[in-house]
Amino acid sequence: MGRVDKATAGIDLFRNKRVASLIRFSGLFGLALSVFAVVLLVFGKNPIRAYVDIFSATLGSSYGFSEVLVKMIPLALTALAVAIPSRIWLINVGGEGQLFIGALFATWGAINFTNLPAWLFLPWISILGFLGGGLWASISGFLRAKGWASETISTLLMNYVAILLVNFFVFGPWKDPESANYPQSIPFPDAAILPSFFGSRVHLGAVLAIVGLILFHFVLSRTRWGLEMRAIGINQEAARRNGISTYRYIIILMFIGGGMAGLAGMGEVSAIHGQLRPSLSPGLGYTGFLISWMAMGNPLGIVAAAFLISVITAGGDILQMTHRIPGAAVHILMALVLFVVLARRVGKVRGK
Amino acid sequence: MIGSFLISIVSGAIHSGTPLLYATLAEAVGERAGIVNLGLEGVMLMGAVVGFTTTVQTGNPALGVLAGALAGGLFNMVFGFLVITRRANQLASGLALMFCGVGLSALVGASFIGSRIQGLNEIQIPFLSTIPFIGRAFFNYDILVYLVVPTAVLVWWVLFRTRWGLSLRAVGENPTAAFAAGKNPHRLQYQALFIAGILGGIAGAHLSLAIAKTWAEWMTAGRGFIAVALVIFSKWHPLRAIAGALLFGGAISLQLQMQARECRSRPFCSTCFLTF
Amino acid sequence: MSKQNSKAMLKTLSVLVSLALVLAVGLPEAAAQAKLKVGIIHIGSITDAGYNQAHSEGMHLMKKNLPNVEVIQVENVPEGADAERVMENMIKQGAQLIIPASFGYLDPALRVAKKYPDVKFVHPGGYKLAPNLGTYWASTPDAFYLMGIAAGKTTKTNKAGYVVALPISFFLANINAFHLGARSVNPKMETRVVFMGTFLDAPKEATAANALLDMGVDAMGVIVDSPITVVQAAEKRGAYSVGYHYIGVQKFAPKGWVSGIAFTWGELYTRFAKQVMDGTWKSEALLGNLASDYLTIAPFGPAVPADAIKLVNDSKQEFIAGKKNTFQGPIKDNKGAERVKAGEFWPLTAIGKMDWLVEGVIGQPK
Repeated sequence: MGRVDKATAGIDLFRNKRVASLIRFSGLFGLALSVFAVVLLVFGKNPIRAYVDIFSATLGSSYGFSEVLVKMIPLALTALAVAIPSRIWLINVGGEGQLFIGALFATWGAINFTNLPAWLFLPWISILGFLGGGLWASISGFLRAKGWASETISTLLMNYVAILLVNFFVFGPWKDPESANYPQSIPFPDAAILPSFFGSRVHLGAVLAIVGLILFHFVLSRTRWGLEMRAIGINQEAARRNGISTYRYIIILMFIGGGMAGLAGMGEVSAIHGQLRPSLSPGLGYTGFLISWMAMGNPLGIVAAAFLISVITAGGDILQMTHRIPGAAVHILMALVLFVVLARRVGKVRGK
Repeated sequence: MIGSFLISIVSGAIHSGTPLLYATLAEAVGERAGIVNLGLEGVMLMGAVVGFTTTVQTGNPALGVLAGALAGGLFNMVFGFLVITRRANQLASGLALMFCGVGLSALVGASFIGSRIQGLNEIQIPFLSTIPFIGRAFFNYDILVYLVVPTAVLVWWVLFRTRWGLSLRAVGENPTAAFAAGKNPHRLQYQALFIAGILGGIAGAHLSLAIAKTWAEWMTAGRGFIAVALVIFSKWHPLRAIAGALLFGGAISLQLQMQARECRSRPFCSTCFLTF
Repeated sequence: MSKQNSKAMLKTLSVLVSLALVLAVGLPEAAAQAKLKVGIIHIGSITDAGYNQAHSEGMHLMKKNLPNVEVIQVENVPEGADAERVMENMIKQGAQLIIPASFGYLDPALRVAKKYPDVKFVHPGGYKLAPNLGTYWASTPDAFYLMGIAAGKTTKTNKAGYVVALPISFFLANINAFHLGARSVNPKMETRVVFMGTFLDAPKEATAANALLDMGVDAMGVIVDSPITVVQAAEKRGAYSVGYHYIGVQKFAPKGWVSGIAFTWGELYTRFAKQVMDGTWKSEALLGNLASDYLTIAPFGPAVPADAIKLVNDSKQEFIAGKKNTFQGPIKDNKGAERVKAGEFWPLTAIGKMDWLVEGVIGQPK
């Protein structure tokens, strides 16, 4: 019983901290908005109109909001891919590559087993996507566990290899013969396309992301594994002496993390693109890394940060349509938000 | 035939390898000071766009290179502020810097797409450039190509043969110990990042002013990330980076050369990349 | 962070938010003043002197012809998820005619079209139709054949080179046509092709152009989004260039300019807009040719001999009259297999199936 009490007390504290960090974060966000406003002014644009347009286009209508959710799905999953291994201080910069391999595996399943019924298809390609990303990441986990290579470097380098591998298949054996030699796979059969909800593009991947986030939170706070992970995170050597197999944890956590990114790839290729293309991801893995970092690996924080980044990036085309600002300029706003959050962190450490 | 093939390969490798080498040196200087910069892509883009717009405005590509270098250096100071003064996470700050560079360069360069410039011209070294074959392969480039290997040697010399370099590497390996030994780690790291930014800016300016002679959004196309990988492969050593960048530049150019010369290239190219 | 700090920040923020809210509420609904709003999405930059600028210039002309039509342009939209959102946002802003101006926008456009049956879509180069989505394009091989004639007559080294994004059937057909045209006037002609694997990587394009020029190529063609890099590289080394897409590329190669195939979409876009306004628009697969006002042969450069210009113009009339076929058999591919039998020809409607390069072209079609 005592243990349970401790746990609930911990959650209370966590809640308070959350409120405080929410306030802090809003302030920082306001700061970023003002700096970007100055940038817009320098380039002769009206910042207030720009912000009104960004927020009314994304949050002012149910359609705009649904599109923000669509963007959030892969970002939340790739952020989990970073957050899970980060529990024991593993740094996974390979979300991008794991996403591509997940999509590759899912595509293999979709275009080679076209006769499966939908109820079987969806778990089938989900498992494949998870497996693809997971195996890809556990290579790095294995290298790290053996002490042969730092996972930071190996995951980063394996991003290139993953993208080359996908290119190899879409330019070569999987190229759709009907597509006039365009580098893309044949379209997924209808049964292999994730269903979406309420006539929007929000697809089943959202459920997977939510389940992933909840499981992550539950495992961390309520299970022995969470405790052991925390022990490894605090002191690897001590944990090992207490009989916790860090070797196993490194590989398993990398596998699960990579699997999450793989699910993101599966969702994108199945629900959004409907076929495998080289232009599958505009840096979703890297953005996921930033989101996980902003959230400090906290599940609710991941949702909040992914939401914020999605609003900003989805607002980009409005800036172009109404203000003649290059769409890429919203990257500046996104970077500014990250800058202020990054610059802030030290103050907190000092405050302690 | 084989001779001219080799000459083309060499000159192609030198051309595509030069910006990569500047970028790799930039990353190496930073990492020697203990700072990994995944935002090099953004720094290069700033160098490319500022170099290009300056050249359009002034008509002077030399001024363009200087402006690009300076822009890279100053832009990298944003990164420096985050990771040195505020001790922010390096990987996250780097990625944020990359996104910032992508956006800012797009904004700055938007009205300059399609502008014409003279660009950096080839300087033919008297006599040497007229030697058959070899002349064109080695003595017919723009100034930044001639300067790149000396720059690598200079970076090596500064890092390994000067007191400043020794202190810098000490800071990179163990900031606390260096601090205890009376060094000012922050100042050294800022200096290193400024130099890295200048080198990254030059890398970008070389792309837009000498190679492509145009500006296009995200024209670095991942070269900044390749440089990060090359630093690892060259084991953080500026002289080994020369070989790495030339080899990689050579691989890119070889793949194109083989196509121009009727060789089956695709399988070869992928294996080449995979072994990397 | 201290409490005071966060309070101050919170204040600033709430001021900002309430300001935004006031503005958002106070903003009048975008009243549809214009008779018609046309939305156009570009894959790249509209000043690229290439594919995108050709579309954008077309919009300019349309606006000049029909002053009360309003245009919403968005550049640099990646193919895929973002394209759909941009189209929906355009419709939210009142667009009744949408031009998703890239091949890869076809599937997203079909999905949006299904959702908004009242909005009309016209897609360049697509191969699927919907009740409210039509396609338009001009068949280019005949024009490339003419360019081959001009280049074949102008070249001094008898070597042409093409820098091409991807080995897509339509591009392969263009290169084949160019080569057949060149061979028809210059039997020694050879054409080399380098595929980039991407539509936009200017430094890599420069390297590819130089690789071709190193091989003695003196007539350069280019099929990527923006021809500027390749054309400038050719001009610099004294080679000739052949343009594609946008009519105004000549300024990048004043000396070595041969000619170019240009899309001049303005009048066609004007017709589309008029049809939508008076309700006569209907979904069709429009495929123009050299007789259409949207496929133009660009002005010739100073290096092209007079007899070549005459031959090009004569051949153009023969194509228009239907007396000439670009892919007239017998044609072998560059691996020696017979692709078109003697007496037959490969119809221009089937170039989507072309996955080979003709004999004499040096390159890998896959």
